[in-house]
Amino acid sequence: MSSPSFNQNPTPEPEAPLIGFGYNYATVTDKISAIVLSKRTPRTWLVGFAIAFALLMVLMLAIGKLLFVGVGVWGIQIPVGWGWAIVNFVWWVGIAHAGTLISAILLLLHQEWRTSINRFAEAMTLFAVACAGMFPLLHLGRPWLFYWLFPYPNTMNVWPQFRSPLIWDVFAVSTYATVSLIFWYVGLIPDLATIRDRSKKTLSQKIYGIFAMGWRGSAKHWKRYETAYLLLAGLATPLVVSVHSVVSFDFAVGIVPGWHSAIFPPYFVAGAIFSGFAMVLTISIPVRKFYGLEDFITERHLNNMAKVLLATGLIVAYGYLMETFMAFYAGGRFDKYMIMDRMTGHYMNFYWILLTCNVVVPQFLWIPKIRNNVWVLWVISILVNVGMWLERYVIVVQSLARDFVPSSWRNYTGTHWDVATFLGSIGLFLTLLFLFLRYVPMISIFELRGLVPKGDAPAASTGASQRG
Amino acid sequence: MTPSESLPVEWSRFQRGALLAAIVAFVTCAFAGGRNPDQFFRSYLFAYLFWIGIAIGSAEVVMLQHLVGGQWGLALRRPLESGARTLWLMAILFVPLVFGVRHLYLWAQPQALAQSEELRRQSFYLNMPFFFVRVAFYFAIWLLFTYLLTKWSQDQDRQADPALGTKFQVLSGPGLVLFGLTVTFASVDWVMSLEPRWTSTIYGLIFIVGQVLSTLAFMIIVVMLLSRRKPLSDLLSAKVRLDLGNLMLTFVILWAYMAVSQLIIIWSGNLQDEIPWYLRRTAGMWGNVAIFLALFHFFIPFLLLLSRDVKRRGWLLGAVAGMILFVNLVDTFWLVEPGLLRNGFRIHALDLATVIGVGGLWVAFFIRCLKQYPLVPPNDPRWAESLIRAGHD
Repeated sequence: MSSPSFNQNPTPEPEAPLIGFGYNYATVTDKISAIVLSKRTPRTWLVGFAIAFALLMVLMLAIGKLLFVGVGVWGIQIPVGWGWAIVNFVWWVGIAHAGTLISAILLLLHQEWRTSINRFAEAMTLFAVACAGMFPLLHLGRPWLFYWLFPYPNTMNVWPQFRSPLIWDVFAVSTYATVSLIFWYVGLIPDLATIRDRSKKTLSQKIYGIFAMGWRGSAKHWKRYETAYLLLAGLATPLVVSVHSVVSFDFAVGIVPGWHSAIFPPYFVAGAIFSGFAMVLTISIPVRKFYGLEDFITERHLNNMAKVLLATGLIVAYGYLMETFMAFYAGGRFDKYMIMDRMTGHYMNFYWILLTCNVVVPQFLWIPKIRNNVWVLWVISILVNVGMWLERYVIVVQSLARDFVPSSWRNYTGTHWDVATFLGSIGLFLTLLFLFLRYVPMISIFELRGLVPKGDAPAASTGASQRG
Repeated sequence: MTPSESLPVEWSRFQRGALLAAIVAFVTCAFAGGRNPDQFFRSYLFAYLFWIGIAIGSAEVVMLQHLVGGQWGLALRRPLESGARTLWLMAILFVPLVFGVRHLYLWAQPQALAQSEELRRQSFYLNMPFFFVRVAFYFAIWLLFTYLLTKWSQDQDRQADPALGTKFQVLSGPGLVLFGLTVTFASVDWVMSLEPRWTSTIYGLIFIVGQVLSTLAFMIIVVMLLSRRKPLSDLLSAKVRLDLGNLMLTFVILWAYMAVSQLIIIWSGNLQDEIPWYLRRTAGMWGNVAIFLALFHFFIPFLLLLSRDVKRRGWLLGAVAGMILFVNLVDTFWLVEPGLLRNGFRIHALDLATVIGVGGLWVAFFIRCLKQYPLVPPNDPRWAESLIRAGHD
């Protein structure tokens, strides 16, 4: 097996290991599968789950109210027809990007450090896509007619507008959700079989057995598995870029100042990866502490994620700079007004806070000491999440509130139903996450076994060692 | 094998040939350009932009490989460093453009300025003194980093110092940020401002990606030519060639992604300040050039580079790189000329003469730099690694 070519540090000093000392194949398997197989559900898990579930109920209530009354319960009006709902949509879709990036692109780049965080990040991706997909559907006004979005022959002879990026979104997001689900599930199969084999209860043997689809771990299985996984990675890679590019087109093809900007596609994609990695850090730092997984999700993982956070944050900052510069450079009235209004108008607080969170705060990550300080990193990751939400708020709301015609200007604030729906979506996300942590091995057992110092053990057990 | 071997002798012949071509081309320029200075400066700007793209791109890719590592970076390192050092030459070759500003840019022409309210609104940024201050600033940054990268590389050749690896990394992170910013603003100043009313926030990124792509293509050709002998024949394993091909493929895709994004957004907006840029570049013969670019800047290299066979076979990879380099020249022409000509399509003899003139000097200087040091940095830790691996294989 040749060693990966992109992650060799040119400095001769040895890097921190990707796995703690003293582990072998058996202890790795024991440690991770024990979390799933343990009979006693930890009390802290129960408390966390209860809070998440309560938030989920808030979501149910908010959706009930919305379906009963209509989208008027949200603060949307004319000209601000897209409010919190679309902000939340873009925010969640963005968060959903880290999973596939870590799983697919880092796999193709032979970045071994992805191994212990990919399962986790992929799960997060799925749950975030679920939260994201909900918002545009609810925003339709009559969500029960959502299938009108699909092009199907119908007696009304009505077709979607194929030139609209909004319809591209339907395809982009649903494709992304499907491929992410398959990718995640395929990656899980060998581990589900491990849980099946180690489980002592008939019921769980049966359930995990069904989902393991008869996996026996034969050489042929592994060969097919590796081919399938690699092909899926190749398929998933363009999706990382396409989804958020299409989301950015939702705005950029319009001519509203603040939306119509050619840099939007790469800047949105970078922003998505930025917020996605921030969310992976926000969640994995407490989880690794709580489950004692510091040997698997090591400081080197956190350090690498912090570097990705810094790099993507710089691209996002470049986007802000270009928008501002071009508005002044072109000398046009509308773009300049839009930027000035962002800086000094009704929404200026949001703007300056977002710049602080997304541009100033990540600069601390240049310092190695800060990248290695777990809890500082955690705080930074939360600030980035906040900053990215505010960024979308400023793009969506401020641009619409001050368009070309002063007579139609109107400021916007969300109602408490907006807040409830947003908090509720966090509840949905966390509920799914807690269930995942309890019932599915959160770290890929067989891939982690591949990281165990080999000695003379065969290298074939690495799930992802072949070249792309 | 020893890393100390330097450039084969026949490269001196290349160097002399390049110099000779440059002299002939510049004599032609002097005759033809004397009669038609407008055309000379147009052609010169186009040629200059193409060649400085490879110089700047080299500095960027040197820093990139210091940050991410990998054997491909070791194979390309010396050619890249030599490419970056040609920035000294490019700083001198900027001088003719100093005299060309009034010929090239509307915003520098007093009568145009007097007629247009819009131009006057832009003159806080687009004015001659500030333009030159910025040029000086860009070159100061670029030359400073080139100087440090070269100097530390020499230090490393003299003595293996592990601390240097870290030093390179500490320099390269901020270096890439600064290069990204300066190249963006240089692209606005030198090219975008040819059509002052037109703006695109993605323009700088497209420029950077195009430069890195042409750099990779050029350097792949160089190392493929060198790979017939040691030490590069040992370094350019099938795996390294695969990595180089994939890297080029990535930038082919990135370029297409950004170019198409800009097209979709501007086409959909259809605004009077923006759409003329595309109308000019798709009218008449320019439209055929645009189709050529779509095919040869994306579809064909994309399909070719997907194949592992193409990437592994040195000469095929070199051929694809050659194609990309040529298409990048056409792309530069397509970006610059329609903004200057404004009516119709024309390839002037001076376009060829300037490309050969600037290119001949550039190539000669590049080979001179390449000759001065061993072709592979002997104390780069990756060299020892590759020796160990060669022993295993």
